[in-house]
Amino acid sequence: MITLNTVSKRYGDFIAVDAIGLEVKPGEIFGFLGPNGAGKTTTIKMLAGLIQPTSGTVTIDGWDLAQHPIRAKRVVGFIPDRPFLYEKLTALEFLRFIAGLYNCSSNGVEQRITYLFRLFDLTEWQNELIESFSHGMKQRLVMASAFIHQPKLIIVDEPMVGLDPRGARLVKEVFRGFCAQGGTVFMSTHTLEIAEEVCDRIAIIQRGKIIAAGTIKELREKSGSEGSTLDSIFFKLIGGEEVQKVVEALRL
Amino acid sequence: MDEIKTLLSAKIRSYKNASQRGGKRKLLRAIIFFSMALLFWLGTFFVFFKVLSYFSSIEVIGTLLSSKLLSMVFLTFFSLLIFSNVITALSTVFLSDDLQLLNALPLSRPQFYAARFIETTVNSSWTVLFFSFPVFLAYGMVYSASLSYYLTLAGVIIPFLLIAAGAGIMLILLLVSIFPARRLKDIILLVSIVLVVGVFLFIRFLQPERLVDPESFYLVMDYISNLKAPTSPIIPSQWAVNAIAPFLFDTGEDWWLFILVLWSTGLAFVVMGEWLFERIYYDAWSKAQEAKTARLTRSKLMNRLIELLFKPLPSQIRVVILKDLRIFLRDTNQWPQLFLIGALIIIYIYNFSVLPLERSPMPTFYLQNLISFINLGLAAFVIAAVAVRFTFPSISLEGRAFWILKSSPLKLRTLVWSKFWVNFFFLLIPAELLIITTDLLMNATPFMIWLSAITIAGMTFGITSLGIGFGACFPRFNVENVSQISTGFGGMLYMIVAISFVGLVVILEARPVYLFFISKTRGFPLTGVEHLEIMGLFTIAFLLNILAFIVPMRLGLKKLATIEM
Repeated sequence: MITLNTVSKRYGDFIAVDAIGLEVKPGEIFGFLGPNGAGKTTTIKMLAGLIQPTSGTVTIDGWDLAQHPIRAKRVVGFIPDRPFLYEKLTALEFLRFIAGLYNCSSNGVEQRITYLFRLFDLTEWQNELIESFSHGMKQRLVMASAFIHQPKLIIVDEPMVGLDPRGARLVKEVFRGFCAQGGTVFMSTHTLEIAEEVCDRIAIIQRGKIIAAGTIKELREKSGSEGSTLDSIFFKLIGGEEVQKVVEALRL
Repeated sequence: MDEIKTLLSAKIRSYKNASQRGGKRKLLRAIIFFSMALLFWLGTFFVFFKVLSYFSSIEVIGTLLSSKLLSMVFLTFFSLLIFSNVITALSTVFLSDDLQLLNALPLSRPQFYAARFIETTVNSSWTVLFFSFPVFLAYGMVYSASLSYYLTLAGVIIPFLLIAAGAGIMLILLLVSIFPARRLKDIILLVSIVLVVGVFLFIRFLQPERLVDPESFYLVMDYISNLKAPTSPIIPSQWAVNAIAPFLFDTGEDWWLFILVLWSTGLAFVVMGEWLFERIYYDAWSKAQEAKTARLTRSKLMNRLIELLFKPLPSQIRVVILKDLRIFLRDTNQWPQLFLIGALIIIYIYNFSVLPLERSPMPTFYLQNLISFINLGLAAFVIAAVAVRFTFPSISLEGRAFWILKSSPLKLRTLVWSKFWVNFFFLLIPAELLIITTDLLMNATPFMIWLSAITIAGMTFGITSLGIGFGACFPRFNVENVSQISTGFGGMLYMIVAISFVGLVVILEARPVYLFFISKTRGFPLTGVEHLEIMGLFTIAFLLNILAFIVPMRLGLKKLATIEM
């Protein structure tokens, strides 16, 4: 579903993403982990077509994003970490707008909008202006909009930010259900528990390079930490054992 | 005292850091802004110097006029300062992002108040102070004032600013206690603009040009008696005038008494503000946090109508247009601008309806067509000014939600062209109304009316394209207020190019129109060379319109494709 081939992104002298390569198969939930400033959001933005790679190619559903951006974007639903929306539209108008952008404004779209409002618990707010929404409500609205055109791939940056525990559980279930029906999810997250719980495969990025990728089992083997949690594997791989000690000390 | 210093140093450092970043581009912008400010400063000085020199040469009422003008200047500054302080205090005391952090800290209230008072005073007063300086300098030079005038002026200005800031902060504290803070800014702006427009229209409809008519000369007697009437003695601006007037006009009043009144009132306002702040600030601030919800006044009929109107369009274009229209109608920041534009157009048409063409010594036929040609340029200028407010910001108005369009399968070309056509018709309708109405009011010839109507339609293509294109080349997605978009570097550049374009088209058409009318007035047919000249110049004007239509859109599209979110 996604192929990243030696993709790099430079900002002047600074290399945000350094020749990374990845393959994400249809039907899997792929977790993209890394410390702050590692290059996660830059990679996600390149996948969503918001920024262009300095070199390398991004292929989505067989379409080269640089050569066929419209065809590639048609199969993607993107959920950014910060939900900047058109504040002066109502939630209903916003979903109709997104449906129109994806050219699906006729057949069954109203039923789908009703279904998504119910799914994301926004039915009673559908006629309110978005500017009156809380961060969590906006985040749920963006998620609803990402599913409106029945995409094959969901790209999501920090899906749990701003969500309450109920919202977070809902999102996990939605992603699992989506993948069970053949959809693919590519998500970046800081929350290691969620990655461990939800993701089929994981890649860890540090200083713009992918330092490990595979299932949790494969990562354990690679890091030589049999039976460890993803926390320990993560800190071992990014060389943050000292940080882990501090974290544990704080927990006490 | 330490807390005040710490609070202010954070602001000063932020300004310093912001000014040090941005490199050459920022430096260029700073140079252009500084040059324009300097030009404005010099212009103000020149105008006041000329006017005051003229006043000083008039016997009997000259000094009276200068003194009255000084009262008006101080009153205007005082009103501006109060207005500016109210708007600034709303941000610094209630809406600023850092307040969430600061209000959670164990800050002493008087010190917090003092820091915000200083910040509000500086932010709201520096522009007024900067532009008032040439006025006071002109007074000093024309009336050969001594050093004591300038020293007294400094002693007057400081308490004057304190009074305005104190009044502004107290007013906003009381207003926020009553009304929701997030709607207040819109309400204050809207009411002020409506008031200003109302006063402006009122003055215009009084027909001040009649003053030059000898038949209404009796008005002068009324005028002098009005000049002698004292201005209200309880307004601080009058105290300021009374304090400095003796140093200009040798009137020998008790200037020190007014300085004392100014200082005691200024300091009293600072203390009163602090007293009020301690008592009601936290309640008002908490209330401001709760009042985020905005009620939407929706007309279902209106919604249905605009949906029906655009139904035949392809889905992507239709939803973009509907979204833009809804946001435009619901954004209260746009309303004051609409009022201003509306007033501008009414005044423009009204001016043409009262033009005394029949009294001119020139042949009416010639004059009517000459003025209708000038009208063409002026109307295009008005349309360019409307476009800088509405068309230029249309790309920037996508704001931080631009990621939605950029990550969707919408072609940027579709986006840009749908914005173009909406703006084109939005500009074309007032442009044609303006030009045809004014031409009819002046009884211009059918040839001139057709020429003007066709030319303005052509120029509207160019003006719209320039607006969208420059707006895409210089987008400002992060501004808080829509009016900030057009006042930036890109907006200024757009205005310069748009005015040059309008000017060039008018110049290119001037010669053919002149030749045509000369031949008509004299009754000689046009020669072959003249025909060629007319065709050539019209062709160049046509090509210029085509260029202005195509090039900016292409450049804008190119730039938009490279923008990274």
